Amino acid sequence: MEVMWAVGQLGAVWLAVVLGLVMLPSALGISLGISEAYMWVLVKTLEWATIRLQKGAKKLQPQMPRTPTANGIIERDETPMEKEITLLHRADFEFSHIFYFCRKGFEAIVEDEVTQRFSSEELLSWNLLTRTNVNFHYISLRLTVVWVIGVIVRYCFLLPLRFTLAAIGITSMIVGTTAVGQLPNGSVKNYLSEVVHLTCSRILVRALSGTIHYHNKENRPQKGGICVANHTSPIDAIILTNDGCYAMVGQVHGGLMGIIQRATVKACPHVWFERSEIKDRHLVTKRLREHVADKSKLPILIFPEGTCINNTSVMMFKKGSFEIGGTIYPVAIKYDPQFGDAFWNSSKYNIVSYLLRIMTSWAIVCNVWYLPPMVRKEDEDAVQFANRVRSAIARQGGLTELPWDGGLKRAKVKDTFKEEQQKNYSKMLVRNGSVG
Amino acid sequence: VGVPRGSAPVTALLSLAVTSEQIEHLHRRFKQLSQDQLTIRKENFDSIPDLEFNPIRGKIVHAFFDKRNLRQESDGLADEINFEDFLTIMSYFRPIEMNMDEEQLDRFRKEKLKFLFHMYDSDHDGKITLQEYRNVVEELLSGNPHLEKESARSIADGAMMEAASICVGQMGPDQVYEGITFEDFLKMWQGIDIETKMHVRFLNVDTIAHCY
Repeated sequence: MEVMWAVGQLGAVWLAVVLGLVMLPSALGISLGISEAYMWVLVKTLEWATIRLQKGAKKLQPQMPRTPTANGIIERDETPMEKEITLLHRADFEFSHIFYFCRKGFEAIVEDEVTQRFSSEELLSWNLLTRTNVNFHYISLRLTVVWVIGVIVRYCFLLPLRFTLAAIGITSMIVGTTAVGQLPNGSVKNYLSEVVHLTCSRILVRALSGTIHYHNKENRPQKGGICVANHTSPIDAIILTNDGCYAMVGQVHGGLMGIIQRATVKACPHVWFERSEIKDRHLVTKRLREHVADKSKLPILIFPEGTCINNTSVMMFKKGSFEIGGTIYPVAIKYDPQFGDAFWNSSKYNIVSYLLRIMTSWAIVCNVWYLPPMVRKEDEDAVQFANRVRSAIARQGGLTELPWDGGLKRAKVKDTFKEEQQKNYSKMLVRNGSVG
Repeated sequence: VGVPRGSAPVTALLSLAVTSEQIEHLHRRFKQLSQDQLTIRKENFDSIPDLEFNPIRGKIVHAFFDKRNLRQESDGLADEINFEDFLTIMSYFRPIEMNMDEEQLDRFRKEKLKFLFHMYDSDHDGKITLQEYRNVVEELLSGNPHLEKESARSIADGAMMEAASICVGQMGPDQVYEGITFEDFLKMWQGIDIETKMHVRFLNVDTIAHCY
């Protein structure tokens, strides 16, 4: 009896703390500075760990020449094909052409720029998480002790806390939006729906220990527009809704996700498609066009890559989103992998293990840049417009641009691409007068 | 990490300035290609988009399974290769090191040229015949539908004649040039610096991170 009463008291205190320190500030949109203090401690610890690792590494390999790497592990010779082949040219067609393609082939086998985008970015220095400890070996006792403390803090303290917050966040979202959904349509309903969405987003961001820096807030997406961003993980949506309200676009799911979708659509006009509707591209475009045409509706949020990429590059944007019309508001999201890897490798982890990994990382730190709005020009078609938007996003976020389709995660290269390249090569051969 | 230690090619590589770090990189790549199996088959190379563009893709993949390249006594093709074999093939593309002497350089060069020779000599008889050479040229030009077979053949024939003139000198009207042997092949490449064209160089990764 006594024990139960004590446990009840503890539970009540816990809830009161959570309410006071998290929910109230979320609702009011203010910060108490707890996250900032945590981040400061974290940064100091990681700096110390890096210095120790460097010292240790120096002892193991004293004379290796060091060069910083940008995006790969092998040195690529960027001489264009024509130059390189003519360099070896002695007479007509030579064995030399084989060299060029042989080397390119081997480079591709050792490391190709596409497949590496579908696995997590490699860190330059260990961040005291077991999962990123690929290259780094035992250095010192102190480092190991810090690592053990880190494990305890993350799994025994942070994980339950974050889990509680996430549960509260999701429940409030469902309850809140259902409640607001009962009201008649009008400005009061819209205002309350915004409040509910923002509050729940903020709680969820705190549940991930997220530190987000928003840049250029004056370019924030307006009503009746379309917001496009690069896609790294399912939490991208939460990152963006932390700072504004959007109308989500997506497929109807079952389970918990389905419940959330059904509740939120009562309060705010999100666009959810049935599985069968998604296949009909015209239907999709029509519905989105109607939404955009209504200037009082919230901006749509779309991720044109179609799949999660590992945040080092931006892949091909599908042109469908750019055929709808209206103003496009590009947004670039760049995560800092040092504190936690946000990339969802859907072929390796399912959503539950992914969320568990996120909740046991140090934090999610990212930068969000709002870019100035873009409109399709008269002489541009949807594909060119998509590429223009993509370049802007890649440039701002410091990501590389790849012309490849994110669908390559699961499919093979289209034959048309291959033929293009082979044509180039044979054209060049014939031009060099090697025929006859 | 699971890299097999103590096996001959691995230790040979380890002693020749390929760092254990690079071997680990290659091992990760191997696991990616093999989808966490212990061996790779030809089909596993299909998952590399960059390779699809390469006109001699077939020959390159073939080279990985060619038993002559795998330094095995037997001939023919292997069905699957393990990580050791993968490293053996990769070693043909080692860059030159500063401290190599004449003899080592010569052996190095011969190895690379032998690899190339095997790529041409598809029937494993030790000679590159006109037909084999034509095959390679056709493959290189296979992407362009506008280039007729005739042009490909004339390119090949011209090159074979050049090779013959280097190796055999002036041929009589009734002499038939059977094919390029490995010695002839070496002669053709005398004086041309191929070592710097046929290598893949690793970057050294710095452990200095961004300190905030």
